[in-house]
Amino acid sequence: MALIELEAVTRTYQVGTESVRALRGVCLKVSRGEWLAVVGQSGSGKSTLMNVIGCLDTASSGRYRLNGHDVSHLSDDELADIRNREIGFVFQTFQLLPRETALANVELPLVYRGLGARERRERARAALEKVKLADRMAHRPNELSGGQRQRVAIARALVTEPSLLLADEPTGNLDSATGEEIIRLFEELHRMGHTLLLVTHEPRLAARCPRAVRLSDGEIISDGPGREVALQNLRDDPRLAAPEPR
Amino acid sequence: MQAFLDNLSLAFGTFAAHPLRSLLTLLGIVIGVATVVTMMALIEGLRVKVNRDLSQLGANVFRVDKWPAGIQIGKRDWQKISRRPNLTLADRKAIVDHCPSATTASASAANHAQRVSTSSAETQPNVFVVGVTPEYSETAGITIASGRFLGEAEDVDARPVAVLGPDVADRLFPGANPLGQEVRVRNRPFAVVGVLERRGKILGLFNLDNMVMLPMQSFLSLYGKKRSVSINVQAVDADSLEKAQEEVRRLMRRRREVPALEEDDFEIATNESMTKTLNELSQVITAATFGVCVLSLLVGGIGILNIMLVAVAERTREIGIRKALGARKRRVLAQFTTEAVVLSLVGGAIGIALGFGLAFLGRWTLGLYTAVPAWAVALSLAMSSGVGLLFGIYPAARAARLDPVEAMRAE
Repeated sequence: MALIELEAVTRTYQVGTESVRALRGVCLKVSRGEWLAVVGQSGSGKSTLMNVIGCLDTASSGRYRLNGHDVSHLSDDELADIRNREIGFVFQTFQLLPRETALANVELPLVYRGLGARERRERARAALEKVKLADRMAHRPNELSGGQRQRVAIARALVTEPSLLLADEPTGNLDSATGEEIIRLFEELHRMGHTLLLVTHEPRLAARCPRAVRLSDGEIISDGPGREVALQNLRDDPRLAAPEPR
Repeated sequence: MQAFLDNLSLAFGTFAAHPLRSLLTLLGIVIGVATVVTMMALIEGLRVKVNRDLSQLGANVFRVDKWPAGIQIGKRDWQKISRRPNLTLADRKAIVDHCPSATTASASAANHAQRVSTSSAETQPNVFVVGVTPEYSETAGITIASGRFLGEAEDVDARPVAVLGPDVADRLFPGANPLGQEVRVRNRPFAVVGVLERRGKILGLFNLDNMVMLPMQSFLSLYGKKRSVSINVQAVDADSLEKAQEEVRRLMRRRREVPALEEDDFEIATNESMTKTLNELSQVITAATFGVCVLSLLVGGIGILNIMLVAVAERTREIGIRKALGARKRRVLAQFTTEAVVLSLVGGAIGIALGFGLAFLGRWTLGLYTAVPAWAVALSLAMSSGVGLLFGIYPAARAARLDPVEAMRAE
């Protein structure tokens, strides 16, 4: 059974009097243990797709089954529970609470699972050790480097032992060396059996994923090994091959 | 339970992050609560004090008088009252003889603003000189510190003896034993036979220790016989207090020939009837205080509403993160409502502390008797948390409704 199963999923926004069709019938299956990249230019519908898969948003039509359960028509609170139990998020801008320590940030999803303080602390500590931040637990985000912040965010995503790790441009705000460090961490997580979905506009990143899908105008236009999809993407848009400005 | 504790610690965290802003917001609540606590402390203090002072009348005692006693609310016909016949020593005797429920009765009469002197010292002209019959020690709950009280024979013979209040004794005989010494009132000599136990002031105003007691007959020969006396009547016990009053009322109406349908031309006052008028007064003040307080709490509530709306706007991103990570609406609602309630409870606590402080200050500088009643503290806490809840729920509901994706995009 596939972990993610999208059937003809559409998402239409109402912007003023216009309706914007961000997704136009997306079909996608992702199995447990896969590492999938979603590539596409900005405006291609990547973020919308990620929001739908991450249960932050619901499809306008079509069906979405996560872990065998249809989640297309759940209430906000039910979706909140699914996010809490099934999905670990890693965002481009980290999305850490600035006033809280690294440990408290990692504990946060467990707070909403209703765990006691002691168990939360132990699990958060273990997750931070896993991302090699055992010595930074008491630091606040502004006392950490970008790479360390993203590792805190990854620890927070892993602490609930989710079925799916969703990363949205996780290296977008990092320099290339730090970005590489984060990608290595993802590779390791993949080897450990986690299911990873990586949204990115960088073909080089997609090329390192075993599988990638390419989105354009709200539709999947290619689906295959990461390297092939990335190359195809480069051929269509040579600008992406230019070295990073940094 | 864990969720409640988490929300509580978050709320205190927010308070710690913006202490000045929070305190300014709370000013309305602080003032409102401080007003209530201070006013209640004053009123309660007044009540406790009056009850205690009046209970110095002695147990099961009521007073028969020509003039109304205590604080009077509403109009009285003072001209008509002044035309009432005087109460006399014969009335006292009649009460003792004819009222079976009265064990004893005393008569007293007083002159304010008297000067008392010895050959070497004198008081200010502010001494209260009282003429009393011997039963007064019982009906007024008098205790003697040294010497003895005035006796029966001294009264009958109008002997020149006196019992001094402790302030007068200290003033005229500093460091010496006043017993057996001579004092002069209106240039007539009186021998000191006793000194009263210290009793303090009624309502912090009328000094019970700055007085001199003389035998009734001596007093009357000193100041003139044409005056009305007050009669203190002691009932057999608490249960027969009302019966004794009724007997006295009937007797006095007969003696003073009051027609059947006319109202009494004398006053009967008990501790209760004197405190009743005071309680009525205190209720009026309480109601007015509550008006002021409700107004300040309303202002305080709007402050809470404002600061919580600001907090929700400032922390939109935080709310988005919390919701993305699985916080349900109710949980976000509870978090921000708890914050508002904690905020206003802190205001309430500061207000209570301030109220206690003001009450102490009043006692210290003005010598007012104050006592903060426990119910005023409980009420203040209840009101301030109520305000927090009432005005915090709308901003909290706005926070709970936020869309996580939109919220996380906020700066």
